[in-house]
Amino acid sequence: MKILETGSETEKKVIIGLAGPDDFKILTKKRFSFVWKTVKKTTTVYKLQIEGSEDILGVMGLIDWPGEKRIEIRLLASSAENIGRSKIYKGIAGCLIAFACRLAVIRYGVEACVSLVPKTELIGHYMRKYYMQYAGRHLYLDGNNLIKIMEEYL
Amino acid sequence: MKSRRNSLKHTDEELAEAIIFPVKLTTSQKEEAARQLAIARKATQKTISEKDRLILGLLQLKFQMEDYIRNKEFDPEFTFSYFLKQYVELLKVKRKEFAREISIDETLLSQFINQHRMLPEYMAVRLEIHSNNAIPAIYWFKVVEKQKEYELNTNIALRKKERKYVRRKLAIGNEEQ
Repeated sequence: MKILETGSETEKKVIIGLAGPDDFKILTKKRFSFVWKTVKKTTTVYKLQIEGSEDILGVMGLIDWPGEKRIEIRLLASSAENIGRSKIYKGIAGCLIAFACRLAVIRYGVEACVSLVPKTELIGHYMRKYYMQYAGRHLYLDGNNLIKIMEEYL
Repeated sequence: MKSRRNSLKHTDEELAEAIIFPVKLTTSQKEEAARQLAIARKATQKTISEKDRLILGLLQLKFQMEDYIRNKEFDPEFTFSYFLKQYVELLKVKRKEFAREISIDETLLSQFINQHRMLPEYMAVRLEIHSNNAIPAIYWFKVVEKQKEYELNTNIALRKKERKYVRRKLAIGNEEQ
């Protein structure tokens, strides 16, 4: 799994793993958009780091719905310096979403599904950028779209 | 809950590229959303091609192998036989047919699947070629290695048997060993 350093156009290998108790001390709202200490009570939180670096560049909270063979991305944040035109690294959110897809495929195989409930004004962008399909309040990935996003980011 | 600070600094496209905001739904909205999603998924599941079903099955097997290789602990459930059996089941062909496709005898394939023989290197390579590189030979090799490592570490009988052939031990460490 790789992200792209926008300045040098070089790829950096990243790893994604569970966020530990110490991580929540540095996952501030200022840098990661949300209060992650609260988020960890209701979701499983994963962090993204460049291999060999301690710095966290992205975080994601997942909820598993085994009865529906689905993993929901409840929320996700790239670090503040990696949002917008002047971002340092490109592809953080894509890697995290692809990681959620990987988890879903391991658990649910052909029937795997990843979903999220988007803000209305962002729906079109998620659909274009991350191959998501529309299902009313949910956007979701399954079948061929799961394969596409994993091929692009894993 | 799009924060004012973010929405002032960035366009919607930039935000969608980097953030997924949590959205609160009422109980009735959640139920409706779940119903809509179930209907949509049912429709798309029907359209998944046989090729994509096979790819997803192979990805599931590949990811399971990756995670197992990365995990330090040996798990007696995840032997090469287990993964090989899963692979053959994914193909939806008879074992005899699969054995023919990789030019081995069906009896030999059964011996691998029932773990009466270790998987040799040539088989790992044939499986890599057969899967069109979906599952690299190194994955099969590492699963076998993990199993061999465990068996070597825990084989007391072999140690007992071999002890008599060692005429002198270095005088370091515990004499009881």
